[in-house]
Parts: sequence; structure tokens; C-alpha cells
Amino acid sequence: MAYQLYRNTTLGNSLQESLDEFIQSQQITPQLALQVLLQFDKAINSALAQRVRNRVNFRGSLNTYRFCDNVWTFVLNDVEFREVTELIKVDKVKIVACDGKNTGSNTTE
Amino acid sequence: MDGVNPVPKLYRSVIEDVIEGVRDLFAEEGIEEQVLKDLKQLWETKVLQSKATEDFFRNSVHSPLFTLQLPRGLHQTLQSSTASLLIPAGKTLPTFITAELGTSNSSANFTYPGYPVHVPAGVTLQTASGHLYKVNVPIMVTQTSGRANILQHPFQQVFQQLGQPSIIQTSIPQLNPYCLEATTEKSQRMETVLQQPVVLRSGTVDRKHLENATGDTLIHPGNEHKIMSEALLSHPENSQYISLSGVVFPPQVSQMDSDVEPVLSVSASMTQNLHGGPLSTGPQGAQHQHMPDVQLRVLKNRMCGCDSVKQPRNTEEPSSLPVSEKDSNSQMDLSIHVADDDINEIIQIDGTGDTSSSDEIGTTRDVDENKFLGITDAGDLKVLEEASSISNEDSTANSSDNEDPQVDLVEEDPLNSGDDVSEQDVPDLFDTDNVIVCQYEKIHRSKNKWKFYLKDGVMCFGGRDYVFAKAIGDAEW
Repeated sequence: MAYQLYRNTTLGNSLQESLDEFIQSQQITPQLALQVLLQFDKAINSALAQRVRNRVNFRGSLNTYRFCDNVWTFVLNDVEFREVTELIKVDKVKIVACDGKNTGSNTTE
Repeated sequence: MDGVNPVPKLYRSVIEDVIEGVRDLFAEEGIEEQVLKDLKQLWETKVLQSKATEDFFRNSVHSPLFTLQLPRGLHQTLQSSTASLLIPAGKTLPTFITAELGTSNSSANFTYPGYPVHVPAGVTLQTASGHLYKVNVPIMVTQTSGRANILQHPFQQVFQQLGQPSIIQTSIPQLNPYCLEATTEKSQRMETVLQQPVVLRSGTVDRKHLENATGDTLIHPGNEHKIMSEALLSHPENSQYISLSGVVFPPQVSQMDSDVEPVLSVSASMTQNLHGGPLSTGPQGAQHQHMPDVQLRVLKNRMCGCDSVKQPRNTEEPSSLPVSEKDSNSQMDLSIHVADDDINEIIQIDGTGDTSSSDEIGTTRDVDENKFLGITDAGDLKVLEEASSISNEDSTANSSDNEDPQVDLVEEDPLNSGDDVSEQDVPDLFDTDNVIVCQYEKIHRSKNKWKFYLKDGVMCFGGRDYVFAKAIGDAEW
């Protein structure tokens, strides 16, 4: 089972919205929508694991940290993200991270 | 491969995988294949409309592009009726749009030809910015030349918006042509097709969307802005427009509806892009400039103090403007100026504010204290006051600002109540546009130095998406 973590991304949110519209218009059932989302979870998890290869470095200051239910949530300020191709600066960023150790395989939000 | 953003391709592949993966599920439920296709299209539309893939459209701003995604069977019809379908030379289209030439979902791109294009029903029009409009009935895509073009087909429901409620902005017939545009959510930026303005005309717009849009956008400050909500124009000969015209042409109403803001904020971004595009091109140059100016004025009017608006403002000033717009200009300038004033008026208690009289400081403290009054009990406050007043009397050295005991009283209370941690920080702190969703391999801390080893992440900065396989970071707490 894959993390449902990625549902709160552009891709995931747009899928959820689309599914909601279809549920509203009764073209699909909520159960089916849930199945689609589960399929999405699998697809995005495997795509990220296999098709993405780049590395990013970042540096900033840590404003808050939280570790609950094996999920880390950080808020960093004045962060610079460095990729080979570009540099991105943001004044505030929230990081939500689920356990990614190889031994871990959970289904948590 | 350098410089190529892998995000759209990745998203495309994920969408494909998901749709394929649920195809069986849909079949089991007895749901038509068409529903699955619609879902896919809707999903793609939303993704395209978001800023996540805006890079792909930025280059294409310079050339007006329409991508027609045709349902099966209409491809031939379209080609026969619009022989002008041209594949633009520019290779700026994202791959996953041009790749839509499969049998099930054929698409073609064309630049706006010089003559009206007939678009049959069932076609989905996608502007260069990625906004999709599904055309339910045959429409004419025309270029206005300052006068209303008569629709040649009776139209019932022309426009079916896909995705979030969107507003089509068009120019008033007696004014100048502009470009097709739709606004979506606030967080999404819009890029418009620029060089050759096109007006999509339609009959009645789908009522539901109209209501949404008119509720949202409605009234624009002044006709000179030539902006209308939803339905395109009020063709006087078409009685179906009449109900809209009342909405669409409010006489000089400069009303800043809070609902309109989302629309406008998107438009603001749009104008940034508008400005970015070559505005003075071709024969439509003069006319063309009006549109962005017009839209800019509207946007500026609404986006008081918005930085994104200020940019075009500075650069657009030299362009020629019709006299009628000057009022809105001054209005706009004033509104932005006011915003600037507000910033300048931020009260400073410390530092450079030393020369200001202590009374002002006391007043400021009063303001602060009033805020705290809501939190602390009145009884406690009294005790605090008494305690602080006693301590003040004892050691006059404590009061650094003023020797007036009453002022000291006021200043001492915030001293104590300042110990309270503001509750506002926490909820706001976690609500940000910049989010990274990922997995952690290792989180390390040494004193206050943190090291992050993350993997498989999706980053969203101000709407734009990035991905990483690994991310390593340092931060100090």
C-alpha cells in the first residue's frame, strides 16, 4: 500500500477535484472515486521512486518542527533550494515527510 | 536534457498510468468509457490550468495558439471546415499537448487565421495558456475589428467551462478587440493569447456558469475597461443577451466586489504575461494595446498594492491610452498610492521611532494593550496595573521612556502580557503556499543544527511544481 501523502499536490488535488465534480454529477460513485485515488497513490509513489532522478540541496532556518505518528512536519524560513539547473528562494516553506526508510511501509496520510 | 523540466512529462505519465489502472474498475462498475475520458480531460485541464506547468505555456504567449482536442469523429469534420488549421512553427507547445493525436483524442493546433473560424460542436478549445473550453454548439471564432460581428449560428449553450468557474473577458464591441481569456482560481496564473485578438462569441451561456460568474465577476469599473463577465458580448440583436447585458454593462460602476478578487488576481498575473508578450505587433498593434491596457487598468484598480500589478503599471504608462481610461488610471494610481501610504504608516515602537514623542509611544502601547485586554481578564489587568504602578513608584529608573506615572502604568502591562505567545502564529504558520510533500530517510539533529535527508518529493512553490528524488538540507533552529 502506498502513502496517501501525495494527494495534497497539484496533481493529486486536481484529481480529487475532478472526481468530486463527477460525483456531484453522479457520473461515478464515491467508492469508485476512492479506488481511483488509491490507484493514484500507487502511480505517483512508483513514478517518483522510479522516474525521478534529480537531487536538490537546500539550506534555511528552521522555524518549527513536529514529529507525530511518524510524520515529520517542518516549517523553514528563508530557504534556498539548489538544483543543478536553478536556484529557488522562498521565505517560508512547509515540509511534510512520511517515513521513507526502506523498512517502513505504511499507509498514513 | 539540461533545462528541460521533467515535471509535465512525469505528470503526464502518472495521469496515463492512473487512467489505465482504473479502466478496468470503470468497466466493472459499468461506467462508460466516455466518463473515463472526461475524467482524464478534466484532470489534465486542471493540471494545465495550474501554475505547475506554466513554463510550458510561457513561451507560447508570443503566438496565439489554439489546441483543439476533438472527440473522435470530429477530427475530419473540423479539418474540412477549417482548412486553416495550421501547426504552428514554434515548438513551444508542451509535448503532451501536441502528442494528443491518438485516435481517441485528436488535437490540432492552429494559429488564428485572418478570418473567422468555424468550430463545430463538441470541440474543446484550449488556449495557449492551457485553459480549456468545451464548445457544445458550433461557434464562430472571430476577430473583432471594433464592431460587433453577427453570429451566424444560433447558439444554445456554447460554453461549458471546464474546471473552476471561469470568466471570459471580452471587449465591448465598440471598443477594441482583445483576447480570449479566462480566469480561474486565484492561485492560478493565466496567460492569454495575445497577438491576434480573438473573440469567442456565443449564444446564451450555460446558465449555471453564468450565474456563478456573474455573481463573481460582474461589475467592472466602467465600460472603458471593456470587460465582461462570462458571456461574451451583448450582441444587441440577440435577445438572449439582453439579460446578460444588464449584468455585463453596468454604467460606470466601480465596485470592488470581494468575490471578484479571485478573478482579478489571476488577471493580474495575466497582465504580467501580457506585458511580457510583444504588445505592439502587427496591424493590430494599436488596437491590441488597448486590451492589455484596459485589462491592466481593471486589474490595477482591483489589485491595490499588489506587486504583480505594479510592474505592468510602470511599464505600461508610456503606451497610449484613450481619454476615457484616464479616470480609471487615476483611480488606480490613487488606490495603489493609498496602499503605499498604509505601509509607510506602520507604527514603529522601537529603533528609529525614538525621536517621536513619548505620548505617541504611549498611545501605541495603548493600542497594543487594548488588544491584550481581550485576552486577559479585566480583574487581572487591574492587579497588574496596581503592581506595576507600585513598582514604578519604587524605582523610577525602570521607566525608560517617560517619567509620567500614568504612562508607565500603561507601558508596564504590555511588558507582562508580552509573555503570552501569540496564538495567531501557529495556525498561520502552517498555512503556506510553499509545500514539500516527501518521505524522509533520515532526520538528524545536533544541538540546534538539523540535517534532513529526504527523498521522493514533490515541491510546490507559489503554485509551480518541482520534484526530486533526493533532497539534502541543513537548517538551524
